[in-house]
Amino acid sequence: MAEREGCPDADGFAVRTDKLRKEFGDIVAVNDLNLRIKKGALYGMIGPNGSGKTTTIKVLMGLQKPTAGSCSILGERVPVRKGIAMIGYMPQEMAVYYDLSIHENLELFADLYSVGKEDFAKRERELLEMVDLAERRDSSVSHLSGGMRHRVSLACTLVHDPEVLFLDEPTVGVDPELRAGFWDYFARLRRRGKTIVMTTHYMDEAVRCDVVGMMRGGRLIAEGTPDELMRRTSSKNLEDAFLAFSREGKA
Amino acid sequence: MRLDRILAISKKNLRSLRRDRRTFAFIFMVPFMMMLVFGYTFGGEVKDINVYIVNLDGGSPQGSLSWAIIDELNSTETLNIIAIYTSEDAALDPINLTVQKVEKAEAWGALTFGKNFTNETVANFLALAHGQPFEPSNMTLHLDGTNPNVASAVTVAVNGAVQQVLKEKYNATPAVAVEKDMVYGEDTDFIDFFAPGIMGLAGLLVTFMLTIVTFVRERSSSTLERLLTTPVTEGEVVTGYAISFGILALAQSAVILVTGVLLFNIQIEGSFLVALLVIFLLGVGSMGMGLLLSSVAKNELQAVQFIPLVFIPSILLAGIFWPLEAVPELLRPISYFIPLTYAVDGARSVMIRGWGVDQIWVQVAVLTLFAIVMLILSTYMLKRRK
Repeated sequence: MAEREGCPDADGFAVRTDKLRKEFGDIVAVNDLNLRIKKGALYGMIGPNGSGKTTTIKVLMGLQKPTAGSCSILGERVPVRKGIAMIGYMPQEMAVYYDLSIHENLELFADLYSVGKEDFAKRERELLEMVDLAERRDSSVSHLSGGMRHRVSLACTLVHDPEVLFLDEPTVGVDPELRAGFWDYFARLRRRGKTIVMTTHYMDEAVRCDVVGMMRGGRLIAEGTPDELMRRTSSKNLEDAFLAFSREGKA
Repeated sequence: MRLDRILAISKKNLRSLRRDRRTFAFIFMVPFMMMLVFGYTFGGEVKDINVYIVNLDGGSPQGSLSWAIIDELNSTETLNIIAIYTSEDAALDPINLTVQKVEKAEAWGALTFGKNFTNETVANFLALAHGQPFEPSNMTLHLDGTNPNVASAVTVAVNGAVQQVLKEKYNATPAVAVEKDMVYGEDTDFIDFFAPGIMGLAGLLVTFMLTIVTFVRERSSSTLERLLTTPVTEGEVVTGYAISFGILALAQSAVILVTGVLLFNIQIEGSFLVALLVIFLLGVGSMGMGLLLSSVAKNELQAVQFIPLVFIPSILLAGIFWPLEAVPELLRPISYFIPLTYAVDGARSVMIRGWGVDQIWVQVAVLTLFAIVMLILSTYMLKRRK
């Protein structure tokens, strides 16, 4: 309890992990990870498949128990209960109800977060516009394309206006035009002081983050602003920078 | 526990079902079909059983007892008499002929009256009156016992005809008369006995199967994980599921009762609502059992395999088609472990005996306990997943 009370909230960290470790049998998915993400940051996690990005997020969401170490969100130790309504999570899988309409999906999540009727009506309009699905509001999700489902999933994450957002590959399968729309929306959220933690495969997206964490083998091999990371490795882009850090780590 | 979140989960489940038309139809068609098929096949009496008769009886000056019995048998619908051989057909060796017919399964039975059937019977009456010993006159019934229902129907018909004729002709009544006073179920047909069973079975089967299917989908599509990252607690998810599937079981029972009343004229002596309460408790419990088993299963296939595992003992041992007294003693302890047993017994007592909650409190208590235990265990299983 003492640990819980002595929360590092004062540090201003939205997310913090201390020697966080997660093993699956012989495989070490997250290897003594020490992560510090400041409030209000747009933090991008990049790294190849199996580098531990998704596992880290799942542990933070309380979906998987860490093998060792600890982590906290907004100063509350995981699994978060008190501040759970301040967190929004978009899993990598679609994770929306196919037999429900878009509206019914949004309403479900709004109800689970006890969002008031008027707030919900307003936010639903706003979100449906952002994901460009306003006209499909009453369509069953099973009738939508993969990309559309992904957008529904994002809208469900945002329906309760969370303070800290965990987005696991939010832009996969989203066409470039709409991706630009997403990024405008993320920028707006940031201006309102929200913290966004996202994983991505697109380097051109990572460049737009405030801070990029490069992960490999469950460790953070480098962290900094995109410019910093490129300068330190004298690379022209983040991809080369990642490869350079990777080689450095192996050597 | 917050009611708004619980209801959000219930609403979600019911809304998904509404959109899934095929499943929706399944929920209401299955009990309807069960009533129709089982009701008509089991509800009917055994009729038109093929038999042969050999009557070698010479009768007496006062008339023939054997022919009177045959006339009586002819007047019922149970037997269909194919042919009657008399002493005039001696050349055909009628006794052997008819026995062979039975052996070749061309008829279920062959009834033979001996040469002096009438005379012997009359002599017996006189002996009886004078307190002298006598050898009962007899008629022989060769019977194919392959189907016990048929065999017993023939026996009952023949015995009944004999009693009837003796009473009419000689005013002979049996020495002991059993006075039958139906305490319950004065006009009970098989369908009345059966309808509460179908209600329970459909309630169990549909809630159990739908829970497994819904929940496995919830797991495989990761929506469960997502739910658990929202403020909703495991207990609220389980309660929300319980309410939605309980409501479903109620709606289904209502369909069964209405079908039963309209098509089969079943009787409902007691309170409709008490019968529904029993089914609601069963529905909640079997939902919990579905949740529990599907969270134990590693994948969809494993989860689906639980369906026959629950269904088969329930259909055979819970007293739906035959009473628990007909269940072999070795298996009877299992019957008492099956919640459906209590639901069927409770619903049946309400519908046929007209009992209220105070008289079926044991069944209600067992079902409540079952529901609570299942809800607690499935909540615990959900928590443990993390």
